[in-house]
Amino acid sequence: MKAPTLRLAARGLKRDLRAPDVRALFIALVLAVAASTMIAFFLDRLDRGLERQAGQMLGGDLVLEQSEPFSPELRQALIDAGLVLSDQVDLVSMISREDRFQSVSLKVVDDVYPHYGVSHVDLGEGVEEVASGPAAGEAWIDPRLRELVDLKLGDQVQIGQTELRVSGIIEREADQSGGFSSFNPRVMMNIADLEATGLVQPGSRVEFEILAAGPPEAVNRLDDRLAQLRREGVEVRDVRQDRPQLGNALERAESYLGIAGLAAVLLAGVAVAMATRRYVERHLDTAALLRCFGATQRQLVHIFTLQLAGLALAASLLGALLGVLGQALLLRLLSAFLPMSLPAPGIMPLWLGMLTALAVLVGFAGPTLLRLKRVSALKVLRRELDPLPPSAWLVVSVACGVFGGLLWLYSGSITLALGLLLGGIMVLSVLWGVGAALLALLLRGIQALPKGGEWTQALRLGGRQLARRRQAGLGQLLAFSITFFAMAMIVLVRGDLLTTWEAQLPADTPNYFAINIQPGEREGFDAAIADSVEAQSSLYPMVRGRITAINGQPPREAVPEEARGDNALRRELNLTWQAEVPEGNRVVAGEWFDGWQADATASETAYSQGGSGWTAAVDAESQPPPVPVSMEDGLAQRLGLALGDQLTFSIGSDEVRTKITSLRDLNWDSFRPNFYVIFPPGVLERYGHSYITAFHLPKEEQGILPELVSEFPGVSLLNVDAILGQVRDVLTQVTRAVELVLGLVLLAGISVLYAALTASRPVRAHESGLLRVFGAGNRMISRIQGAEFALLGLASGLLAAVLAELATAVLYMFLLDLPPRLHIELWLVLPLGAALLIGVIGHALSYSLRRQAPAASLGLLGEA
Amino acid sequence: MSNSFTRTSGTSVNDTSILDTPILHAEGLTKRVASGERQLTILSELDLTVLPGESVAILGRSGVGKSTLLGLLAGLDTPTAGELSLFGQALSELDEDGRAMLRAGRVGFVFQNFQLLPSLSALENVLLPLELSPRAGEEGTAKDWLNRVGLGERVTHLPKQLSGGEQQRVAIARAFVANPELVFADEPTGNLDPHTGATVIELLFSLNQQERTTLILVTHDHALAGRCDRCLRLEEGRLVEFDPSEVTA
Ligand SMILES: Nc1ncnc2c1ncn2[C@@H]1O[C@H](COP(=O)(O)OP(=O)(O)O)[C@@H](O)[C@H]1O
Ligand SMILES: [Mg+2]
Repeated sequence: MKAPTLRLAARGLKRDLRAPDVRALFIALVLAVAASTMIAFFLDRLDRGLERQAGQMLGGDLVLEQSEPFSPELRQALIDAGLVLSDQVDLVSMISREDRFQSVSLKVVDDVYPHYGVSHVDLGEGVEEVASGPAAGEAWIDPRLRELVDLKLGDQVQIGQTELRVSGIIEREADQSGGFSSFNPRVMMNIADLEATGLVQPGSRVEFEILAAGPPEAVNRLDDRLAQLRREGVEVRDVRQDRPQLGNALERAESYLGIAGLAAVLLAGVAVAMATRRYVERHLDTAALLRCFGATQRQLVHIFTLQLAGLALAASLLGALLGVLGQALLLRLLSAFLPMSLPAPGIMPLWLGMLTALAVLVGFAGPTLLRLKRVSALKVLRRELDPLPPSAWLVVSVACGVFGGLLWLYSGSITLALGLLLGGIMVLSVLWGVGAALLALLLRGIQALPKGGEWTQALRLGGRQLARRRQAGLGQLLAFSITFFAMAMIVLVRGDLLTTWEAQLPADTPNYFAINIQPGEREGFDAAIADSVEAQSSLYPMVRGRITAINGQPPREAVPEEARGDNALRRELNLTWQAEVPEGNRVVAGEWFDGWQADATASETAYSQGGSGWTAAVDAESQPPPVPVSMEDGLAQRLGLALGDQLTFSIGSDEVRTKITSLRDLNWDSFRPNFYVIFPPGVLERYGHSYITAFHLPKEEQGILPELVSEFPGVSLLNVDAILGQVRDVLTQVTRAVELVLGLVLLAGISVLYAALTASRPVRAHESGLLRVFGAGNRMISRIQGAEFALLGLASGLLAAVLAELATAVLYMFLLDLPPRLHIELWLVLPLGAALLIGVIGHALSYSLRRQAPAASLGLLGEA
Repeated sequence: MSNSFTRTSGTSVNDTSILDTPILHAEGLTKRVASGERQLTILSELDLTVLPGESVAILGRSGVGKSTLLGLLAGLDTPTAGELSLFGQALSELDEDGRAMLRAGRVGFVFQNFQLLPSLSALENVLLPLELSPRAGEEGTAKDWLNRVGLGERVTHLPKQLSGGEQQRVAIARAFVANPELVFADEPTGNLDPHTGATVIELLFSLNQQERTTLILVTHDHALAGRCDRCLRLEEGRLVEFDPSEVTA
């Protein structure tokens, strides 16, 4: 029994490939798989790439850091677990050349360095990729040191008590480990020379690091030991937790891509459902005949299941191939945000693609297909004995269930999946009503057209045809209008919104930031720009500090899980002190520090505890009360912090205990210096600090810039216009990528059109046959069909315009605080463009139908 | 000419098989259907016994219930009351799948409207029952049968490329290809012009005789009926035996 079933199925499939409904089914499945695999391939690669990049940025898969050398026993334990170790020492020190001094951030590396990646270093013959650190006796330097202390390649530089030869200028380091003060220029040297410098002394701020590389299992094996080390105060970073977070833009793009991809899957599912109806109708006779010849229900199910499974398999393979190509394209479009080369595509998305194809088939075709099984053999004698079609409720609920499952699979969260599903159903029901009203209005308008030329006649007849298939027409209307709406939004966000937002910024919005102004330069710098700038924010002192404890716990353990990789914990924060609430800031909870006084009797060290390890722990009695600080509300929410929480900052070589006494709301797009954490005056002044300011420099005054740069070489100037330009580039790229996926969504929409056409084929042939009998020529029939689809397109375009206008109005009012404006171009381009596009495509797709029409009219004559 | 042919063949078959168990036996067969509000009795307490090798014609006006009876006899439908056994197996004991399996490879069909699948070539149409038969044959068998009905040159043609008579010949090849014991024919000439119909009938009877198949033929054509071993008329839900030579069509 099996073999004949298989043979029958295979033959059936081969023959069926000619049938339009099977083609529609195939195309829809290919699109569903292409859309889902394209995004899955891309995200999978991105994910693995990020993991790898995390390792590279950390300098290893596991990094331990403490302020004293590591014990041999620990080293051995790491090696035993299967890790390769590299030693590194970081310290801040002074270098000197002749009479010039500069404080630098020294990074002392061994011969294993770096575990991953390469550094970009100019060794004298241009920048090259180097997979090692400097050799003994040599030093690599930050390019800034060329100006600061006039260092060149080949020069000798004094570091501590030894001299090293400058052999390289560092363009980019392989890793980002070991930078506790990114303000100080970097000097990299070999660990063999460390002893000779004499810099490692009790009391000096030194970080010892072990960078370990190895497979995830090796790190997993050490879990208990790592927990213990953390408790002992060792800073432990590992790639499993310290994955860098995606930039906002890329993260948004990711979720847009995911949603757009699923929209394509949904549309393809609708196409599958429509094509299946025709497929089943076409096969009812076959099924009845097979029943009559002795096939059991099981055999029937087997035959058709095998056929469709074969179809789904072929579609999955083709779809996955397209998915691979598509993700390569996505990758190119997004290349600017991907600082790394991604690993090759894996096999997992292929399975996902097949699963998607099967799920779409089962969910959107399943209930309809069961009709084939229920066919009665008696149908061969009595034609009218067709099994009842499944109830629309059953079809819709099965499809919703399966699609919900797919949402869950792709989003990984059941609440999100349910939310999307329910929200989607609600939005679709509302749109269904609006679309129906719009369509009815449009059709009534068409019928009211004055009788006249052939075109109006074609329009009226086309309109009537559309009205006759209102349900299917409405489905397509929604599919297309949502797609066009999404496309319009993409274009608007990229162009209109950004332009409008920029235009509403006050003309004197700062366009330059100056950072790294040394206290001694403060007045000089102020004077130098005073004549040229139109508006300037005050100068804010800036001190860098890292959060080392939250309520006495390691920060990573004290914050919610999703905040563990937050940049605020990974990097040093810019801290400032202010007596008044800065302009543009608003206290939303707690009290500003009015009246708080730094305890005058407290000695310099009393507010702080000595750099851990080197000094004896200060006993609790002598601890002063924590310093009140004001925190930005958004960050506090992200980190799950509230008023009264205690933060310990590591600043310079001290640990400063603080307590959150107020939360601030601030306007990030003011282009003024903004700070996450503000201290009261009297605490941070003793630490090394620089100043930051922002100002508006009109175009005609920009001639002072070169002068400014040479007069204050240590000061960095950031051009906001350039940053905005970058934002625009980012947006352009992200929107391109989303557009690519939307293109797929549009294709899926067209596959719905095609499937609907195949489903309505017999009826259409009958209609055209009748029209022909009543004297319509080829040209007329062709025009009527064109008109029908153009009307469908027009209605979708109109609905899309309505949606886009509403959505932008909401964005304007609530996001940009601007009065909404009408986009007239939207109301022209969308309906007309959609009418043209859908009209042409629908007309082309119904070509074979027009060829059938003469035969259909012959059939009509025979009937009479 | 046709009469003498039927007589001689009919007699001989009858003589050799009279002692065999019936291939089909119906007793008290009743079929009622709901027609709007009221019940419509199409068949009432009908009895029929068909022996192996017999050819039986069932006549009757259009709409009298011939197709309904055929559907019941072939196990495509279930009676409202009465007993029916096919190949010695009581059909009431079988479910729909059981009845289908009983048919597989043992029963052939010829329909008024041919019932060829439009997307299948002539050969593929003939192959269809073979694929389901436990005695599955090869493509060669199907080609042989197309040769025997005179369509050896048309194997790859689709139904719409064949004339009505040719389509019915394909259907006849399909009915015999699996070497069935019993062939049902429901007005096989009903959609054909008289001349074409005659050639198709000629073919049906000669194949039936060569293959020693049992034939149950439904028709309203008396001339056709006259070529069968027995003639029965369906009237008011019952079958009445009659001699076609006594009635002139
Ligand atoms: N399932 C049914 N429901 C309603 N009426 C039926 C059904 N089956 C048969 N009939 C009616 O019974 C009568 C006999 O039909 P049929 O067997 O096709 O007649 P014949 O083949 O002799 O022309 C017809 O009037 C037909 O409409
Ligand atoms: Mg009939």
